[in-house]
Amino acid sequence: MKHLLFAAVLAVPGLPAVAEDITIGFATAKSGWLEAYDTPAATAARIRIDEINANGGLLGQQIKWIEADTKTDRAQSAKAGLQLIDGGADMMVVSCDYDFGAPAALAAESEGMNSFFLCAEDVKAGIQGVGPNSFSGSVLAAVQGATMAEWSHARREARSAYVLLDTIIEYNKGICRGFDWMFPRLDGAEIVGRDTFKNDDASIASQITRIKSLPEQPDVIMLCSVIPGAASAVRQLRAAGIDSLILNGSAVDGSYWLDATPDLSGFVVPVQGSIYGDDPRPEVEAFNKAYEAATGARPASSYAYPGYILIDLWAKAVERAGSVDGAAVTAELEKMRDEPTAFGPRTFTPELHHQNYAQMQIVEITAAKPAVTDSWTISEPVPLDVLLKR
Amino acid sequence: MTSLAQLFFDAAALGGIYAMAALGIALIFGVMNLVNFAHGEYIAFCVFALIVPSTDAAAVMFLGKAPALLLIPLILTIGALVAMASEYVVFRHMRKASPVAMMISSFALGFIIQNALLAVYGGRPKAISLWPELNTPIDIAGASVPLLQLIVILTTLAVVTGLAALLRKTRIGLEMRAAAENFTMARLLGVRANVVITGAFALSGALAAAVALIMVTQTGVADVRMGGHIMLVAFIATVIGGLGSLPGAVAAGFLIGAASVLLQAFLPLDARPFRDAFLYTLVIVSLLVRPQGLFVPNSAKPRV
Repeated sequence: MKHLLFAAVLAVPGLPAVAEDITIGFATAKSGWLEAYDTPAATAARIRIDEINANGGLLGQQIKWIEADTKTDRAQSAKAGLQLIDGGADMMVVSCDYDFGAPAALAAESEGMNSFFLCAEDVKAGIQGVGPNSFSGSVLAAVQGATMAEWSHARREARSAYVLLDTIIEYNKGICRGFDWMFPRLDGAEIVGRDTFKNDDASIASQITRIKSLPEQPDVIMLCSVIPGAASAVRQLRAAGIDSLILNGSAVDGSYWLDATPDLSGFVVPVQGSIYGDDPRPEVEAFNKAYEAATGARPASSYAYPGYILIDLWAKAVERAGSVDGAAVTAELEKMRDEPTAFGPRTFTPELHHQNYAQMQIVEITAAKPAVTDSWTISEPVPLDVLLKR
Repeated sequence: MTSLAQLFFDAAALGGIYAMAALGIALIFGVMNLVNFAHGEYIAFCVFALIVPSTDAAAVMFLGKAPALLLIPLILTIGALVAMASEYVVFRHMRKASPVAMMISSFALGFIIQNALLAVYGGRPKAISLWPELNTPIDIAGASVPLLQLIVILTTLAVVTGLAALLRKTRIGLEMRAAAENFTMARLLGVRANVVITGAFALSGALAAAVALIMVTQTGVADVRMGGHIMLVAFIATVIGGLGSLPGAVAAGFLIGAASVLLQAFLPLDARPFRDAFLYTLVIVSLLVRPQGLFVPNSAKPRV
């Protein structure tokens, strides 16, 4: 019996019998605070997997998935990565957040395997922070900030802007970096002031005092923050009677927090697709319906979408490469230029495994009702040195 | 430029929140030498009690629907009950344990409360619109002050005077002060240990609930991690105020709030992201100058 087991263990690497299926490993948070962000995107990824399987699979094989809980813990993330590698994963999907996804992604990288961050929007989540076979399914934070700058300048005659940065995570700095790069380049536009706060500050009264002591209220306020700090900042800004258009990154998408500021208006969010049923592209609404059928509820924010996109792109690259080998798939992914997806075209290059420009839907909240008001693609990709500037 | 009055109100309001949280911690430390790190989780618990338990993204008001006159005593009672329950379940069994062991178990208790909230409510922060009209600013002495800030300042003053009266005029207050002086001696002289300690926990829990109501009105959000930061500041306030000193905790709470607001107002932009680093440098300096705390009671000397 012992010998038999031993033989079986020896035989596994050489035997493609196990590889009848292609296995995707999910090293994501199934518990802890990150779960609320990982689960929707992972669900979306599985919807795409099911679609591919229903259409005959990938390279003639069915895709199956295995998972390991990272418990919103960096050490557990590394462990989950190794566990999935042992479980025979051919590709690894890791947590939304760079800090929590990177340990698992690094484990995948050391095996020469592809890894995809579910929705990380920091440039580190890819070549720069993990290695040559790592990608992100989402759109860089800086693109969101730059989109807000160019759109508000073109469509809302924004000429003066105030930048309010929540320094708690790198994502927020990324949004502001994109805005700071784009806005001053625009005709007649000027950043008239800036300030910082921290997400868990009990009050931003002093920051509000500073805005109110400006000689003139700014046309727009670029708020680089995430929930809950962002919701709390907006509540306090509006309560203080500051009526400027408030611009944000995608992270505040979703109507679930709108109760924090009753009857909110003049609040704009760039998103990859609309969860509100009014996206101009029918594929997006078709996905929303599929998501509802799978989970019983529509997506709570647009952060489900990158999960779907990443499986879609990876599967296409696998078909083209004819294998799931990390380096071969990476080479195919890097050839993608404006590759169509349900949520707009996507590009990967040998320098950047992320989107440094993308078509974004502009969602505006008016009287507490979010609706797509426009669609915008920045006129020029955010340059790599802007992205990497610390 | 920012007016002096504006700075004063911003500082006093933030300081008031910190002072109230610090008072909750100092009360328990005074009677049983326990730094209760679960205090921040009491705050989060009280906030979440306002909404219907569910992991859905959108929050539905539950207790929060009650009118203020009913809601305030209700939430204060819930805070007191949670604190009393934790005393009964956890800390009562650790009366003879070392302060370090008690502190560690308070961390554990905090973890349990936080994870219970996570399991019931999910990890996504929730929006709660409680009394939004309180955030409307009014003009006082050239400063624009949200009504809530005034309420915070006045409530803190009321709580502090009320507590002082309770400690000085009532039997339980006398017993608490005696227990804070010298617990063993107080017991020998007939002070009812369980009543004193349970009372301290109840008061502390009610203070946490008051902080919760203020926080949620101010920010409009509920987050399982929301108690962490305020707990840290409050703990530091009790330390630099002098562990065991109630007036010290209050004064230090106000001091930290004021320092934080002043740093935010006057630091140059490039240094502003490091506001808290400056703040805690001041804390270190204060501890170097007066390691026993700024307002230290005589009783603290042999104990700390």
